[in-house]
Amino acid sequence: MFNKILIANRGEIAIRIMRACKELGIKTVAVYSDADANSQHVQFADEAFHLGDSAPKESYLNIDKLISAAMQTKSDAIHPGYGFLSENASFASAVDSAHLTFIGPSADSIRAMGDKAQSKILMKKAGVPTVPGFEGLESEKDFSKAAKEIGYPVLVKASAGGGGKGMRVVNEESELSEAIQAAKREALNSFGDERLLIEKYIANGHHIEIQVFGDKHGNLIHLFERECSVQRRHQKIIEESPSILLTPELRNKMGEAAVKAAKAVNYFNAGTIEFIFDPQHSTFYFLEMNTRLQVEHPVTELVTGIDLAQWQIRIAAGEKFPFTQTDFMQRGHAIECRIYAEDPSNGFLPSTGKLLQFIEPHAPGIRVDAGFAKGDEVTHFYDPLLAKLIVYAENRQSAIQKMQHALKDFIVHGVVTNIDYMQAVLAHEDFANGKISTRWVDTIMESNGLSFDMHKQSSALQIISAALADFVFVNQSQSVNQNETDPFSPWKKINNFRN
Amino acid sequence: MKTTFNTQTIELNPSNDGYVATLDGKNIFIKIIRAENGKMELLIDDQRVVAYVSSDLAKRWVTIDGETIMLTKTSGAKQGVRHDHAGGLIAPMPGQVRSVNVKSGDDVKKGQTLLTMEAMKMEIKIQALMDGKIKSVLAAQGDTVEREQILIEMEN
Repeated sequence: MFNKILIANRGEIAIRIMRACKELGIKTVAVYSDADANSQHVQFADEAFHLGDSAPKESYLNIDKLISAAMQTKSDAIHPGYGFLSENASFASAVDSAHLTFIGPSADSIRAMGDKAQSKILMKKAGVPTVPGFEGLESEKDFSKAAKEIGYPVLVKASAGGGGKGMRVVNEESELSEAIQAAKREALNSFGDERLLIEKYIANGHHIEIQVFGDKHGNLIHLFERECSVQRRHQKIIEESPSILLTPELRNKMGEAAVKAAKAVNYFNAGTIEFIFDPQHSTFYFLEMNTRLQVEHPVTELVTGIDLAQWQIRIAAGEKFPFTQTDFMQRGHAIECRIYAEDPSNGFLPSTGKLLQFIEPHAPGIRVDAGFAKGDEVTHFYDPLLAKLIVYAENRQSAIQKMQHALKDFIVHGVVTNIDYMQAVLAHEDFANGKISTRWVDTIMESNGLSFDMHKQSSALQIISAALADFVFVNQSQSVNQNETDPFSPWKKINNFRN
Repeated sequence: MKTTFNTQTIELNPSNDGYVATLDGKNIFIKIIRAENGKMELLIDDQRVVAYVSSDLAKRWVTIDGETIMLTKTSGAKQGVRHDHAGGLIAPMPGQVRSVNVKSGDDVKKGQTLLTMEAMKMEIKIQALMDGKIKSVLAAQGDTVEREQILIEMEN
């Protein structure tokens, strides 16, 4: 087993991984940029290493600096978390070359699944269902011919892509040329690679993914599905397991397909096979594989009882995975809401500032994986995920109710969050009925069916509370840190009640 | 005292056992059950309300029953309370002086309690913000003082 692990990440996932390390008796090294010098993940680690400037390419995306940090701190393994370098095959190779262990799959597996067109060809060969379409086309004429054969609507997207960038829905031939040009431009800007693929566009498609897990000895199983269809700007905000759309038969079929997909690239460690699910025909197609731990992994941990972060480390150290497929079942229902510092009334744009208040909910069945605390600064440098709120209950209905109460008790001031927005989604009948496709949030926002405004008309209770607080919390009118900088301030003593 | 948030003006005044707020011509009676760390437990016209309020200059973040709103204070008392008014220590809110512990000419240490006052059933200690000398004492035991009234003047 490892003595010391460097976590090449920040925020909640760095803390999540450090917890797993500590539970396994492994020392932890945090890395940080200028902007993160006082952040929670730095305080949580046994030691911390300064990487450099706040810009990701000078810090969390800088392979040389990370390898050097691991050497200098005498770490023997690196956990990449998610995002940043987690799916970068060159990074995994560099870690290997430095005689350190990369906690994740092999560089070859990452490379094989990293290219959308390449992986699709691989999956077709392995007998995994893929969306009808074509790869490797170049001329607009070829695209046009392919689109006709597939049948409109079609989707053109970047071969190297992800996160919805370089992706266009084309409803009819007249739109095709412009869509190709736009997608190429975006693909080139985002990935430095303008190759596109074309495929059938599945309207009202759901995003359902299967967690897989394997060791370096050839054992590989799946850990059921996560339904991740509630998305804004192609990024997930609510995830749950199980999905109410799957029958036991479909679940088995998808699980088997996922295992087949992972085995095709000799996969080990934690991975996720993303499928697009067509609810009209109850069919599913391979979308892509995420060769890392997912943001939404807690949902799977809660319904299966496995600690994925711990097992990632144990597998990387060479341990055999002692469980087989039949050891696992889904029990109860788990839902995750991603608490983002973003403004739903303003196109979900990130919101930055100092956290004036940050109170997490506590109750049976509630888990919070947070990367921030009161007084922390939310900067524009990184993803604005503040925390993940995950609930677990015996069934979906109870889990939804539990989540609604947990969201009510999650108090964040200082930045605008999507908490109210998620309340509205959870209360919507489409969510209750499992009718939320990946396009739902955008469609509803466009038709203004759900509107959110932090500057909405205020109620009497809110005005009274604000006015009263000016009397009661006089000390807080400048900033939350005033107490610390001025320990003898008379205003600090203001709450000494006599009765 | 009148304050305006966004476009709504509220008048808030201490009463015998709490506060009276006047909003849209209506009087609303408020009792504070508990208030700490930005959380207030209130009785507003006998209705129990838990409110979280944070301030950042003119901005007020208010959460009641899970709903968060951002208000902007557009008029009213100055933001924050000046700790030090040309060497003067001022009353953070209206109240009554319970004791005066120093007299003019005294040398005091930073953190020393110079005066205690009572407001809203709370005891408030007015402490020296620095080492120095008391220049003048402008309030006496039993005095009723207004918000931001200068109580004690200090010099280095």
